[in-house]
Amino acid sequence: MENITRRLLQRVVRRFPSQTLRATLDKWERLSEAQRRSLDLSKTKWALTEKLLSICEVCDTFGVWISGVSRVIYVIDNPNQGMWYAFQLLDPKDDAHSVDLTQFKQQFKCHLSQLMRHVSIKIKKHTDEAVWIRIAWGDALSRPDHLKPTYVVYYLQSSHVFMTSLNSKLKPLLSQALVLSTRHRGMKDANLSGRNLTAITDLLMKRYQQVFPTKYPTPLAEKNEIESHPHIEREQAGAAAKRQQMACEAFGGGVLPQLQSAVYKLETRFKDHTNKIMTEREEPFRCVVKFSSVNLLESLRHCASSGIASTPVTPLLSSVPLKGRNSFVITDNGRSPSSQTQQSQK
Amino acid sequence: MEPPQRSMVRTPHKSVLVQRRSKSRSYRQSYRSCSGGPSRLCLTPALTARRLNTSRRPPKSQDITDKLKAEHLALLVKTRWKLSYVTPLYRFRHTQLRSYSRQLSAFIAAEQQRGVAVEVEGTQSGFRVSFSMLQGLASAENDDPETVLIQVHSKPLLSRQDEPQKLVWSGWLTCISGNPEYLSSLPRDFTCLPLFGSSGADGLTSVVKSWIQQTFDCCLGRLELNHTTLQWLLALWTNCHAQSNIQQLNMVWTLPSAPPLQVSFTVDPQDAWDLWRSVRKASAQEEEEEEEESCIDVEEVTRFLHGLKSHFYRHFRLELSAGSLSQVGTALGWAAVSGRIKMSSSRYVVTTLALLTECALLKMPI
Repeated sequence: MENITRRLLQRVVRRFPSQTLRATLDKWERLSEAQRRSLDLSKTKWALTEKLLSICEVCDTFGVWISGVSRVIYVIDNPNQGMWYAFQLLDPKDDAHSVDLTQFKQQFKCHLSQLMRHVSIKIKKHTDEAVWIRIAWGDALSRPDHLKPTYVVYYLQSSHVFMTSLNSKLKPLLSQALVLSTRHRGMKDANLSGRNLTAITDLLMKRYQQVFPTKYPTPLAEKNEIESHPHIEREQAGAAAKRQQMACEAFGGGVLPQLQSAVYKLETRFKDHTNKIMTEREEPFRCVVKFSSVNLLESLRHCASSGIASTPVTPLLSSVPLKGRNSFVITDNGRSPSSQTQQSQK
Repeated sequence: MEPPQRSMVRTPHKSVLVQRRSKSRSYRQSYRSCSGGPSRLCLTPALTARRLNTSRRPPKSQDITDKLKAEHLALLVKTRWKLSYVTPLYRFRHTQLRSYSRQLSAFIAAEQQRGVAVEVEGTQSGFRVSFSMLQGLASAENDDPETVLIQVHSKPLLSRQDEPQKLVWSGWLTCISGNPEYLSSLPRDFTCLPLFGSSGADGLTSVVKSWIQQTFDCCLGRLELNHTTLQWLLALWTNCHAQSNIQQLNMVWTLPSAPPLQVSFTVDPQDAWDLWRSVRKASAQEEEEEEEESCIDVEEVTRFLHGLKSHFYRHFRLELSAGSLSQVGTALGWAAVSGRIKMSSSRYVVTTLALLTECALLKMPI
């Protein structure tokens, strides 16, 4: 046990960047003020680990616990590590809105440990109503593996759940525990994923500047401008402004949530009036299109406003912010040739 | 520039390399310097093509597994190569590879002493260079100069005495299906191996390059693969689908938005093949030729790409033509605009290299 603790603590301390080490240690409530001050951060990390271990031995607390809580704090502060997947809870029961933190904590721990024998759960409430859950999984024969934990973020009384590094075998267990403890009847994949947790929560909860269609997008200008070619300039400026307006209506204005990619699986008929053979083909043309960028929504908005993408923006692209998802399967609605533009999104 | 024949007459044939270096004159030759002034040279009446061929024969699968050593073939197929073009090599002899190995080893050691960073991580300082010929890596019809493989070995740091040396750098110089008229128009002392592929530490690459430049009085430069070349590769690979599965057809487009947008477009192999066949059939009917026999025309390639782009546009209303094609890939190979390639299938290595040789010949400076 001693060895495991030492190894864990070493790995955890090594993983923290030195700049954030002080801040993280300050959040660690188990350590007293004096103990925290006694830690000399200018020393090597190895020396620091030894010091921490000696403190923990005195306090009679154990490293597994230490690493658990300190790493929850670390991930809360650095939520942009790994890939986050969004899930949606379905069919709330009548008392779903009255679930509070203590009840949720108790229920979740109870349900999950009934389903899995060796599992270690840490729950911590973050400042903005988010409940952070760290789960270390073990199996029938082994202890919980604290080096590969799953993180779950749940907003109380909402239907959104976000998870990172979850093994697909363990997903049913976790979703069952979540559904039961949040008083819902089901959970489904929300088809949204990204590296930036804040961005995907903002997108799902529509916390970005939305632009709505208006008849007069700008205040009416006074008509006293004298220009060389007033007609041409007005027309061009008008078209550009219109494109800009439509782009913002589709994707939002200002700074947009940082989404990295969107994937479309297309299984639609190939239609091209110059290619008769392919147009007459019965089978769908199967392809996968993946858009990626540092900030996908801003890239797409720029494409639309600069004319690379024609306006009005196709529903396929505007569905990303509108429906809050970035993974789509597109098929033809009917097999009849009449369904020219109708496409369904699954 | 003076006609190269005269300069050749002035150079004594038995002159030693070092002596020749001491003169300031350069004997650099290039495709364009030969083809550029037909009126003066009266050598190359047929060489006016400055563009990529507009039609080429469908690639034939060529089994080179029994011609090449297994380790060489594995190296060719498993590595990602960075491409450069090379102007014709002056006084390069395939019979002197042994001496070149020694010279290059000495050159690397000398550069190291001068303080040029050629260190490779985790290895000792000593490098052993070997030159070898890749006989058999050639097209069936053409009489091309043999491909030369250069390998640099070094001992891993902290290794025992008897441990074998590790391959730290490799590169090759090749010419496959080079334009025969151009090749025969070259003065006798020049060998044309216009395509140079390298893989390994950048420091070593630049040292080897500068050795080649100094020893054979030639120019090396980055070979970027343009839009047309990438499209050709895509079409040629797709054309092989009936014989060997391409698994998927992948294109990556970069669109100039702010921030830049990357679009990766992956097509099911069977559907890509059907689209390619429909494009081929349409033109085969026009020309009333047998499908298997007919050459692939650049128009078919364009039509194929147009089909793919229009399918994309129909869904996303986004003009891919506004951006640029930056990568193409199938199970048979992968290529990027930056001049990096991978030839994953040994059966089509020759075809791919033939196209790239053509690009390299075109890319040479005047």
